[in-house]
Amino acid sequence: MSTNTIVNELKKHIAEFEKTVQVEEIGTVIEVGDGIARMSGLTKCQYQEMLEFPGEVFGVALNLEEETVGAMILGDFKKIKEGDTVKRTGRILSVPVGPEMVGRVVNALGQAIDGKGEIKTKQFYPVEKIAPGVMTRQGVHQPVQTGIKAIDAMIPIGRGQRELIIGDRQTGKTAIAIDTIINQKGQNMKCIYVAVGQKESKVARIVAKLQETGAMEYTTIVVAGASDPASMSFIAPYSGVAMAEYFADQGEDVLVVYDDLTKQAWAYREISLLLRRPPGREAYPGDVFYLHSRLLERACKLNKENGGGSITALPIIETQAGDVTAYIPTNVISITDGQIFLETDQFYKGIRPALNVGISVSRVGGSAQIKPMKKVAGKLKLAMAQFRELEAFAQFASDLDPETKAQIDLGTRMTELLKQPQYSPMPVENQIAVIYAVSNGYFNKFAVKEIADAEKKFIEFITKTKHSLLDKLAKGDWDETVEGELKEACSEFVK
Amino acid sequence: MKKKISNKQFAEALFAVTDGLKGEKLNEALHQFVLLLVKYHKLKQGALIIAEFEKYAKKKSGIIELEITSARKLSDTTLNHIKKIFGEQVESIEKIDGEILGGVKIKMEDKILDASLKTQLLNLKQNLI
Repeated sequence: MSTNTIVNELKKHIAEFEKTVQVEEIGTVIEVGDGIARMSGLTKCQYQEMLEFPGEVFGVALNLEEETVGAMILGDFKKIKEGDTVKRTGRILSVPVGPEMVGRVVNALGQAIDGKGEIKTKQFYPVEKIAPGVMTRQGVHQPVQTGIKAIDAMIPIGRGQRELIIGDRQTGKTAIAIDTIINQKGQNMKCIYVAVGQKESKVARIVAKLQETGAMEYTTIVVAGASDPASMSFIAPYSGVAMAEYFADQGEDVLVVYDDLTKQAWAYREISLLLRRPPGREAYPGDVFYLHSRLLERACKLNKENGGGSITALPIIETQAGDVTAYIPTNVISITDGQIFLETDQFYKGIRPALNVGISVSRVGGSAQIKPMKKVAGKLKLAMAQFRELEAFAQFASDLDPETKAQIDLGTRMTELLKQPQYSPMPVENQIAVIYAVSNGYFNKFAVKEIADAEKKFIEFITKTKHSLLDKLAKGDWDETVEGELKEACSEFVK
Repeated sequence: MKKKISNKQFAEALFAVTDGLKGEKLNEALHQFVLLLVKYHKLKQGALIIAEFEKYAKKKSGIIELEITSARKLSDTTLNHIKKIFGEQVESIEKIDGEILGGVKIKMEDKILDASLKTQLLNLKQNLI
């Protein structure tokens, strides 16, 4: 293209440009606090509308009062001063969505923070959206394989379910979520990990681990760090689920991890108190239940007419000294379809993942288990329940009748089997095989301490020699012939 | 709980009471108003209430207040021309701000009519990119 054509093109554009008078509705800042501002004017401002402060800083109107408008500021609030002019934008807060987001680390507004350049998406989704209604949904019927034996067998999670991971600090809550993400490789699942109020060092470690295991190929990480303003922590989970909704609308399955919602509730409490909303129990505002229910209600399994996509939510809640009766834990327990309860005692006993199988439940996932797992897990659940009752007598082992002794013995073997190191998720067919072997007594000749070793050898043996059997189990086939083959494999290994 | 009365409400009340009063009666009304402010511990807010009153009174009597910002001082004819567009009773404050480069920016209550050269250029820039 010659210079002249460029000049002509430019001239044409400039000639075509129409001069218009911009009409803007404005207000004046009368008060600025930590991350919030109060303004006069803005008479026609709508709830949750974006406001533009000088210097390209945006805010969201949260309080519409008679004389003033209260807003939280997204970004640097230190440059905003009293008397500044605030403009209405007429837009609702939205985040970029699309396949371009996969593999990226973004902040709560969807802007890249991984140094790999700007993300150019074609679409934006509103951060706040009403959850899909009854008629667009379908029952949960496909499994999410976490790769963790104890969870997949006893607390199964289905696609579209909301399963809470709850426990004290340092009990391995994040580890379960990360293992689940790692295990989604080749499972046709997109993952979104939302880090709320986490240390940046922890997030960096997670990103590195996911990259190392190749999980970043299907994962987006949304970060609202500990040093970001409270408004970012407040909206990050909503941004994450908005990105997930895009994939669900395309008919894909998505897993969203919110790590953790306690910190989001803290951020919301901070904003609410600064905006002078009346405090309630534990100083949380009155609508803190709605804060979490509207977020988790957006997890769904859509029916065929609506594309059949799903959003599975794994919210994480941190308790203080195992107290699940605090305000936020009880709220989120009642919202979700079950919880995975982690305990410090178990953790230090060496039972990791430190699950308390007694009070952990999954209210809908059972219908999503594949058939062989359902059969095998039934026996495991029963054995574990009996073991919990008899565990107290275990120290009088010598005085017990042989039947009780056998039950306790099986229980300890099972507990040993359910231990699993971090970052080593196991395919579901292998899980079925080992659980079957242990619960049917094939491992009784090994000492309890040798179980982990024997398990490893058994899996090696079965993958080498009985590959077709594993394929059948993975597909969900289960009948007498399959069981017979499995039995045969077990006895062959023990010989 | 006693409901808080806003400055605006005081101003509106004052306007309603004093509207059309003259001489001795006006003085009496103002005296009573000040006593009322004392009763509600609102004397400190006096200046703000007067500002609200001014705004309200102007609105009631149909006076429009404009804030006209331009890059250079505008001639009286231009100013009158602008004022006429908005109505008969217009009070204006003129401001000079070189940053807008040219054109005018008119502020009316909580609206801005932006016809400044700077904004136009910014729009053009966005159009070209």
